Amino acid sequence: MRERVGQVERITLPFRVFSHRLSLTLFIGLSVALLLLGRAEAYVFDEARTKVAEVTAPIMEILSTPLAIVREWVGDVRDYFNVYEENRRLKEENARLMAWKAAALRMEQTAARYEALLNVQLEPGIGYVTGRVIADSGGPFVNTYIVNAGREDGVAKGQAVVDTEGLIGRVIGTGDKASRVLLITDLNSRVPVLIEPSHYRAVMAGNNSANPRLLYVSDETEINSSEQVEIDPDQRVVTSGHGGMFPPGLPIGVVVRASDGEYRVQPYSDQGRVDFVRMLQYDFPRDIEPESDPDEAPEEASTENDASQVGLLTSPNAQSEE
Amino acid sequence: MSMVFGSKISNLFEIGLPFLVAIFCVMLTMLPLGLSSGIIVSPAFALMAVFYWALYRPELMPPYAVFLVGLYYDLASAGPLGLWAFIYLVVYGIVLSQRLFFIGRAFFAIWIAFGMIALVAGLLAWAVSALYYGSVVSPLPAFGQALISFVLYPLFGRIFGSIQRRFLSQV
Repeated sequence: MRERVGQVERITLPFRVFSHRLSLTLFIGLSVALLLLGRAEAYVFDEARTKVAEVTAPIMEILSTPLAIVREWVGDVRDYFNVYEENRRLKEENARLMAWKAAALRMEQTAARYEALLNVQLEPGIGYVTGRVIADSGGPFVNTYIVNAGREDGVAKGQAVVDTEGLIGRVIGTGDKASRVLLITDLNSRVPVLIEPSHYRAVMAGNNSANPRLLYVSDETEINSSEQVEIDPDQRVVTSGHGGMFPPGLPIGVVVRASDGEYRVQPYSDQGRVDFVRMLQYDFPRDIEPESDPDEAPEEASTENDASQVGLLTSPNAQSEE
Repeated sequence: MSMVFGSKISNLFEIGLPFLVAIFCVMLTMLPLGLSSGIIVSPAFALMAVFYWALYRPELMPPYAVFLVGLYYDLASAGPLGLWAFIYLVVYGIVLSQRLFFIGRAFFAIWIAFGMIALVAGLLAWAVSALYYGSVVSPLPAFGQALISFVLYPLFGRIFGSIQRRFLSQV
């Protein structure tokens, strides 16, 4: 029996090697074809991607749980050793924040009075869904997360995703119990932003590095100005709300200048410390009547930012008053 | 009869195991270590698996299995579809053609070979991504991944080895 198997092996072996080679070539060809097809029609595989993410999510959830526990434990130990330092820092920060709070309350009242006077349409409140990051892309040229909250929890495509510090990305696909987040550092990410307090507009484009680029920087006050504008580093970058994707005014990071003279954004969010993220349920105001001026919505967005800009300008004064 | 049936079951298991190990390696790569952007990215565990099985038991890891592992990674990570399928197959082809040269060599030689393969895979990933996105990105993350994969290969080679010894019949 064994001998016969050996004989059969000997006869079929060259054939098997040949078919192995053939199928290797075939599958290499197939993957190249997929690459070309995906390049031309990127949306074709969206459904499949979502399905695979959904199937993978429960396993990743289990696999990533010990990681979360270890991270928490390491954090606890570190907190224990830093307790004195941390306490002093927090006290200082608290004193500073109290000054800010007083300024904010005053601003809020002023803003409410102005809004009442001008009959401003108030923006709807922003709800949120919290989820845990259970997987990242792991690859060198793709920056996505899978989060363990999906359609059933109220996550929808296009929602902004933030951590405690600032914007980290947006939802690009949702399953029932899991969704996929495209990070602001990914090559496909484009976010319309405002640079404050100079109030320049720009598009923040991911370039697969930790610091996304700022493209098409323009002075919002001058229409169609084509000349290159100068930005002082350390200005704040926030979402502009243009394009109707994100709520305006979400903090993203600060402007830094790269060695090649290009403007980049240093995000507030620390990507080495991903854990829980929030998906913001923001309904961009769409219920405007068709006859009304189409520019109304962006206008509203910029007034909101004006308010926060004034807040930024006045608050240091408030601090010096204290 | 029952013996034939039993051997069929074990054949199925043998064919399935390296594939499942590779799929599990993809999941390990996707664990959120917070390394997704920057120069050091997650190690390419699945590349180690494809390399290992192509070297030691290619008949248990046929091209379609390699293709499926790559495809799964592409779909799960939402990258360009076909990218890792293509790279894993190329790696598989290279290893297969050099297999007889490496079989029976000292572990050190195989480790160096893996390092070179990881470098080739990283360069390929960089080149294909640049073509796909139509923009030249920094190749540093690819080198970072190749380096950390190289460093971790001895550990994973050992794990794959013990899986092979314990669960797969010897040839």
